[in-house]
Amino acid sequence: MPMTRLPPEIRPVLENGTPAAMVTCSADGKPNTTVISQVYYVDEAHVALSFQFFSKTIRNVRENPRAFVCVFDIAGLAHWVLQLQFERSETEGPVFDAMDMQIEAIASMTGMSGIFKLRAADIYRVHSVERVQHPRWTASWSNG
Amino acid sequence: MSNLRILQRVSADINSTLDLDEICDVALRTMDELFEFHHANILLLEPDNNTLKVIASRGYENQAVGGRVPVGTGVIGMVAQKRRLMHVNNLGQQRAYASAQRREMEKAGRHAQLGNAIPVPGLPNAESQIAIPLLIRDDLIGVFSIESPVPRSFGEHERDLVSIVANQIASAIHNARLYEQQRLAAKALHEANLSLENRVAERTAALERELRVAQALLNEARSRVEGPLLGGSALVRGLRDAVAREARSVEPLLLTGPAGSGKEAVARAVHDASGRSGAFIFVRCGEITAQHRHGVETKALRSPEESFIGSRFELASRGTVFFDAVHELSLDLQRALHTTLEEARRRPSATDSSTGDVRMIGSTTHDMRQPPPGAFLPLLQLLAANRVTVPPLIDRREDIPALVDHFVRRHSRRLGKVIDSVSPDSMRRLEAYTWPGNIRELRTVLERAVLVSKSTVLEVDEEQLSEALAIGSYRLVTSLGSGGMGEVWLAKHRFLVRPAAVKLIRHDVPPGTAREQLVRRFEREANVTAALRSPHTVQLYDFGVNDSGSFYYVMEFLKGLDLHQIGTRFGPQPAERVIMLLRQACRSLAEAHERGLVHRDIKPANVFVTRLGTEYDYVKILDFGVVKEQSGHEATLLSNPAVVQGTPAFMPPEIVLGEKRIDGRADLYSLACAAYWALTTQTVFEATTPAHMLLQHVQARPVPLSERSELVVPRQLETILMACLEKDPARRPASALELDTQLAHVRCEAPWTNERAQHWWEAHAPDVVAT
Repeated sequence: MPMTRLPPEIRPVLENGTPAAMVTCSADGKPNTTVISQVYYVDEAHVALSFQFFSKTIRNVRENPRAFVCVFDIAGLAHWVLQLQFERSETEGPVFDAMDMQIEAIASMTGMSGIFKLRAADIYRVHSVERVQHPRWTASWSNG
Repeated sequence: MSNLRILQRVSADINSTLDLDEICDVALRTMDELFEFHHANILLLEPDNNTLKVIASRGYENQAVGGRVPVGTGVIGMVAQKRRLMHVNNLGQQRAYASAQRREMEKAGRHAQLGNAIPVPGLPNAESQIAIPLLIRDDLIGVFSIESPVPRSFGEHERDLVSIVANQIASAIHNARLYEQQRLAAKALHEANLSLENRVAERTAALERELRVAQALLNEARSRVEGPLLGGSALVRGLRDAVAREARSVEPLLLTGPAGSGKEAVARAVHDASGRSGAFIFVRCGEITAQHRHGVETKALRSPEESFIGSRFELASRGTVFFDAVHELSLDLQRALHTTLEEARRRPSATDSSTGDVRMIGSTTHDMRQPPPGAFLPLLQLLAANRVTVPPLIDRREDIPALVDHFVRRHSRRLGKVIDSVSPDSMRRLEAYTWPGNIRELRTVLERAVLVSKSTVLEVDEEQLSEALAIGSYRLVTSLGSGGMGEVWLAKHRFLVRPAAVKLIRHDVPPGTAREQLVRRFEREANVTAALRSPHTVQLYDFGVNDSGSFYYVMEFLKGLDLHQIGTRFGPQPAERVIMLLRQACRSLAEAHERGLVHRDIKPANVFVTRLGTEYDYVKILDFGVVKEQSGHEATLLSNPAVVQGTPAFMPPEIVLGEKRIDGRADLYSLACAAYWALTTQTVFEATTPAHMLLQHVQARPVPLSERSELVVPRQLETILMACLEKDPARRPASALELDTQLAHVRCEAPWTNERAQHWWEAHAPDVVAT
């Protein structure tokens, strides 16, 4: 698959914390859609997703490394659609530490320290990125 | 405003103050201008290093201030733990997600794995939070946190900006804290310095006071002891040889000689020549009371008397203890002194006894050929083994010029007079005179002559000599003693044969208010006493003021002992004798009370027991010197309200409290105190200070006599005396006559008769009552 670079304007969208939709597919071709809390910006070519629980998503990704993420840009009233390829799982390093710190901060407040825990930072290569403006949102905004 | 300019201003503002609140205020305001947030907190690490405390906030109306966050908990706690900036968005959803997971686990019964949810101060519905550690080098001092209810994005540039400002805040806070620490340290140092200065000043003042007192005491002691060893007569040379010889000895020494001859001076000279490093301790034996003895802590295996004697020896460690008029010690104390000396002789180097290293010197005016009454013979025999006699001045007449020269120089220097010499006539007069008062009298005469002298050549004429020795129609024979009011002399009428006692105002009271008050008090005493006719009140023959302004009065001369002397020397007295003495005292007081006079100073020393013709144990009440009229008129005229007059051990509560209306029942209280003392030789209350004694008269209940007396006290007598000791005068006998009547009804097994009294005097003090 060809590799692409993430445009700078997507970074605030990734950081705004709006949940994203993620689609994966098992080895036998069954798709699965889920909502993930955050897509972490790693560098121009990579994003990271948190691996906290043994969910169907993780199982699918381990079987079939391709994934599809749709990020909502609330301010721009648009979608960003990213095609990803699972590359590796990190259990240490700056990306893991940053993600782990954030998750631990939340866990400590809810009495879930040691349970609500980052097991690994899954690093995905970005294959494509596309911004999709939603015509109905634009219309309702302009009419509003 | 550009970010750069904001940063410049932040830097200027933050560094313009060392006040922590101002720094926080600037920091929060600047952050708001930079990032337009609505909620922010500055937290500092507590000394325990486990907690962060909110010290300033914005957007919370200060509600967050004081809140605490454990290190490692929440975004702020995690930033403190990791010491790294953290930016979190979508906080609400993440929390909700974690909470949902928690509920799932709870449903699955996995409670044991779960911890407690910990609330942290801040915005409850925050969606976005950025927290920055405040670091000084690598040390965490706190966290800066910004929270927002809507998602916020922080790019690289903004994060850098936040970090720069945070570094500046951290430095400013650190500097402010250092400054505060230094300020507090400087303040503490300043306060410590002040406190030290005050303490040093107080101590210095106290030491100066002590030094002045010590200097005054030393001067006073020197004035007594300088001179007696001057001269070239054989007698005084022998005395100086004796001093040199005795200085090398460690044996107890007895000095005998008439009053005023200089026994204390000889004792001090022996001490000075001995090279002993310790102090010279002067014990005036006649003034030791039961109170003094009870003030000393009794040591194991020692009687209270031995402890008292031992305490004087300890004070004189490596020095000399001088017992002046040693025969006036009570028998118990004489026995204790004898025991102590015997012990010291047996174990001269005993380390557990300080008496082994103390030289003991005693003195007496009595000739050893006839022991004084009340003397403990073994003690006198022990002391008399090593005896030095101090001669009367008349026996060393040739020393008079040297002594005159010494005293004139000393008095003129002290009084600021220039006296070059003494006129030949005066010197002849001084040499010819008999000096019954010995060197003490010579000193007094010369002091007065120097005081009145208007020339550089001192004149002492016949008038001045006779003035010292003649009062009105009376000629002074010998000094009987001195007290608070003045000196008492034995005197003889120029024409009549009867002896008399002459009381003179003290010479060392300087002119001024105190002197005037004393003279007026003296006059009142004389007037009051003259008005009384009871045979049990000391009779006044004459009073007046002589040409040099000295006040005097002449009263009957009484041979005998006062109740204090009787108790001190011979111990507790039988109840029947005390009753008999009390009844006579009551008759004296009854007359005084009837005339509206209250004695106010009834005590054993003022109940004088004498022989009158064939009557023994005849009581005379002495010293109406502090008598007050019941109206209080004279009292306000003369009394200093700040001074309580009387003697603490015998003082009624109403006088202690300074009540204005005092009547005769006050004397009955004091008389009961005196009776208590006579029956037990103990005061009604025991105290180590006069103030404590006075307090007890007001507050404490007296111990019943029967519990303290060694002798049998009839129950009736005890009841009467305890009634007299009631705090409320209304509960005491109404008058001295009523008390007399009550006492008359007390039944005793063997009444105290004149025969018993005569026998007692002949056995105990024959010379006192000899005709």
